[in-house]
Amino acid sequence: MPDAVTAEAVDIELAEQFVTKEQQRDVGTLGMWAWLVTELLLFAGLFLCALILRIQFPADVTLATTHLKFWIGATNTAVLICSSLTMSGAIVLSRLGWRRGMLGCMLATACLGTLFLVLKGYEYYQDYDENMMPFLARPYALGAHPSTRLFLDIYYVTTGLHGVHLITGVSILLVLTWQASRPRFLQMHQNRIEIYGLYWHFIDLIWIIVFPVLYVLNR
Amino acid sequence: MTREDRATLWRHMRAPVLSFVALMALLAVNVVLGATLPFRAVWVAEAVVVVCMVLTVLLVSMEVWSEPPLVRVFSALGFFWLLILFGMTLVDYLTR
Amino acid sequence: MSPLDSLYRDPDTARITLDRPADYLHAEHTLRSWFFTTDHKRIALLYLASITGFFVLGAIAAGLVRLSLVVPNGVIFTNDTYNKLFTMHGVIMVWFFLIPSIPATFGNFLIPLMIGAKDLAFPRLNLLSWYVFMTGALFTMVVLIVGGVDTGWTFYAPFSTTYSNFYVIPALIGVIIVGFSSILTGLNFIVTIHKMRCPGMTWFRMPIFVWTLYATSLIFLLGTPVITLALILLVMERAFHIGVFDPKLGGDPVLFEHLFWFYSHPAVYIMVLPGMGVVTELVAAFSQKRVFGYRFVAYASIGLASITFFVWGHHMFVNGQSQLASTVFSFLSFAVAVPSAVKVYNWTATIHKGAIRLDTPMLYAMGYIGLFVLGGLTGLFLATLAVDAHLHDTYFVVAHFHYIMVGGTMLAFLGGLHYWWPKFTGRMYPEAWGRVGALLIFIGFNVTFFPQFILGYLGMPRRYHVYPPEFQLLNVLSSAGSTILALGYFFPMIYLVWSLWFGKRAPANPWQAKGLEWTTSSPPPAHNFLAIPRVDFEPYDYPIKAPERA
Repeated sequence: MPDAVTAEAVDIELAEQFVTKEQQRDVGTLGMWAWLVTELLLFAGLFLCALILRIQFPADVTLATTHLKFWIGATNTAVLICSSLTMSGAIVLSRLGWRRGMLGCMLATACLGTLFLVLKGYEYYQDYDENMMPFLARPYALGAHPSTRLFLDIYYVTTGLHGVHLITGVSILLVLTWQASRPRFLQMHQNRIEIYGLYWHFIDLIWIIVFPVLYVLNR
Repeated sequence: MTREDRATLWRHMRAPVLSFVALMALLAVNVVLGATLPFRAVWVAEAVVVVCMVLTVLLVSMEVWSEPPLVRVFSALGFFWLLILFGMTLVDYLTR
Repeated sequence: MSPLDSLYRDPDTARITLDRPADYLHAEHTLRSWFFTTDHKRIALLYLASITGFFVLGAIAAGLVRLSLVVPNGVIFTNDTYNKLFTMHGVIMVWFFLIPSIPATFGNFLIPLMIGAKDLAFPRLNLLSWYVFMTGALFTMVVLIVGGVDTGWTFYAPFSTTYSNFYVIPALIGVIIVGFSSILTGLNFIVTIHKMRCPGMTWFRMPIFVWTLYATSLIFLLGTPVITLALILLVMERAFHIGVFDPKLGGDPVLFEHLFWFYSHPAVYIMVLPGMGVVTELVAAFSQKRVFGYRFVAYASIGLASITFFVWGHHMFVNGQSQLASTVFSFLSFAVAVPSAVKVYNWTATIHKGAIRLDTPMLYAMGYIGLFVLGGLTGLFLATLAVDAHLHDTYFVVAHFHYIMVGGTMLAFLGGLHYWWPKFTGRMYPEAWGRVGALLIFIGFNVTFFPQFILGYLGMPRRYHVYPPEFQLLNVLSSAGSTILALGYFFPMIYLVWSLWFGKRAPANPWQAKGLEWTTSSPPPAHNFLAIPRVDFEPYDYPIKAPERA
C-alpha cells in the first residue's frame, strides 16, 4: 500500500488515583459534562434577562433587534457549525490513530474559531460606528427609546461572555494541538481530544441558542 | 489513502457529516424565517427549529445518544434546572 | 478474600499501628510538599487552616458589631464603619467560612476514605480549587479591611450599583472568583462519588455524610453559575451602567434578587446539608446504633437539595414580587419542612434506646438537633406571608438564620472536627476541656441569639446601630452572650492546637465507630488504604439494630 495512512496505537496512561483505564475515561467524560452543566446555567441567566425584557418592553426589544447585524450573526452560526464538523473529524481521527489528519482538523477548528472572533469584532466595530454602544459615554442612536439600551447591553454581555469562552477555547485548542503533535501523545492521552471536543461542541451549542435569542426571535 | 481507509473514514464520519448537513439546513430555515417574517407568530416556528438544532448537537455531535445513562442524565440536568429558573421567575413576571 | 476484608467490617479498636508506612502527614516535610500537594487529605488541612483564619476575622467583626449595639445611640462607631463591619462579618462568614467549611475540609478528607478510594477523581483540580479560593478570598479580604464595603453580604441593587460610595466592584470580583472554587470542589465530589467507589460500595452502602455531600455538590454545580452571572451583571451595572437593574432606565432591581436568591437560598443548604451528614455520623457512632430509616435520610438529602431550588422567592415577599408568586413560593417553602423533619425524627429515633456516650462530639450533635429545630421552626413563621410582612428585615430573621448557621452548621463543624480529629492528626483532644467548650458555646450561643428573636418580634430592624432605648436591655444581654460564645470558641482553638504536640496518640478507631475511614490507621497512609477495600456489608453495622431491621 503505497500511500496508506499510518495508524498509531491509541490508548491512555493510567493515573495513580484510578484502578482501571475505563474508570479513568468515564471520569474524564463525566467531569466535562458536569462542567458543561455550569456553563449552560451561566448563560441561562442572560437568556432569562432577554426574555424578561421582551415581556416588559416588546416594542423596544424589537426595535433594538432590527439594528443588530443579522447577516453577520447568521454567517457566524454557519462558521461555528463548520467548526463542529472539523472537531468531530479530529475526534474520529484520534480514535483511528491517524495523527496527521487529526492535527489538521484541530488546526482547522482553531482557524474557524478565530474567523468567528474576527467577524464578531467587525460586527462590534460596525455597532460602534453606528452609535449603537449605549454603555459608552458617546451619542446613542436609539436615545429616544431608553429601554432599548437594556436589551443592547444584554446583547453585549452575552456575546462578550461567549467571546471569552471562544478565546479560551481556541487558546486551549492550540496548546492541545501542540501537545498532540508530539509522538506518543495518542498512546498516553487520546481521551483528552474527546473531552476537549465536548467543550468545543458546547460553545457552538451555546451560540446556536444565542443567535436566535438575540437576533431572530425578537424581530 | 487506500480504498479501505476511505471506507473506514466514511463509516466513522457519516454521523458527523449528516448532522452537519441537518444543522446547516435548520439554520437556513431559521435565517429565511427571520429575514422574511412570513406570518405573525413566526417566533414559535423559529423556537421549534432551535430546539431541533440543540438536540442534534447534543445527541449526535456530542454523542449523548451512545453514552451510558449517567452521562445522558447530566446532559439533561442543566436544561431541567434552566426550566426551574425560568419557570419560577416567570411566575413572578407574568403575574405582576 | 484477603485477611484485611474482615477488618473493614469490624474496625479493630485496639490496633495501634506500628508497622505501617509513613502516614500522609509524615510522608514528606517540605513546604513544597504541602503547597503543591495533590493528596486530598493535605488539601483538606490547607482548607481547614485557611477557613479558621477567615472565621477568626469574621468573628472579630461580629464582636465589634455586638460592641456597637451595647448602646442605643450608636456613638461607638460612625454609621459607615458600622455598615462596613456587618458587611465584613456577613461576607466573610457566608462566602469564605460557611460555604467551604464542611465540604472543603471534611468532605475533601473523608469522601475518598468513606468510599474506599485512593484520592478524589481530579486531585490537581482539587489543589487548584484551593488556590482559586485563596486568591478570591484574600483579595476581597484586603478590600474589606483596607477600603470597606457597606452593602451587606447580599449586595442588593440599586444600592450596590448606584449609591454605595465604597469598593463594591473589587469585593464582587473576589466573591466571583471564590465561586469558581466551589464549582470545582462540587464537580470533583460528584464525579468521585459516581465513579471512584470501591468494589461492593453501592449507593445504599455509603455513609449518609457522603449522600449529603453529593446533594451539596449538586447545589454547587447547579446554583453557583447563576450567582456568578448575577454578580457579573452587577459589576457591569456599576462599571458601565448597563441599566438592567436600574429602574430609571426601565430595569428591575427585583431581577437581581431573583438571580441572587436562585443560588443564595440553595446556598443555605450548602451550609446545612453537610452539617446534617456530620450529625448523622455522630449520632450513630455515639449511640452505637444503626441509623434509623437510612434510606429516608438519604433520600431526604437529595429531596432538600432539589426542593430548595423552588423556594427562593420567600426572601422577596415584601420586595415587589407579584402576590401570586409570593403565595406559590410561600407554599413551596413549607414543603422544605418535610425532608428536614424526616432527618430530625430519624436522628432522635436513632438515639432512642442506643448505648449513648456523651463525649464532646455527641454534645455538639445534641446541641445541633435542638438548635436546628428552633431555627427550622422559626423559618416556618417567616415563610408565612402575613407574619413575614411584620418580621421581614428584623432581628427575628437574624436570630432565625443564626440558629441555622451557627447553631446548626457551626456546631456540626465543631462536632465533626472533634470526632475526626484523631483521624486527621493521629492525636486525641482532651475530653474534659472539650466538654466544657461545647457547653460554653451552647450557652453563649443561646444567650446571644435568643434575645434577638424577641427584639425582632418587637420590631427592631436589622442593620441599624441606632435603636430606641427600650431595646437596650435585650441588646446588652445579646452582647454579653457573645462574649461567652467567643470564650467558648477559644477553648477548641487552644486545646486542639495543644493536642497536636501533647495529645494522646490515637488508635485507628477511638470511638468503636463503623465505616471505612476507621479501618485505616490514624492518620491514614498517603493512599488511604494498604489495599483497596471490598465491601459486603451494610453501612452503620452497629451492634444495636434499629427496630425496622431487627
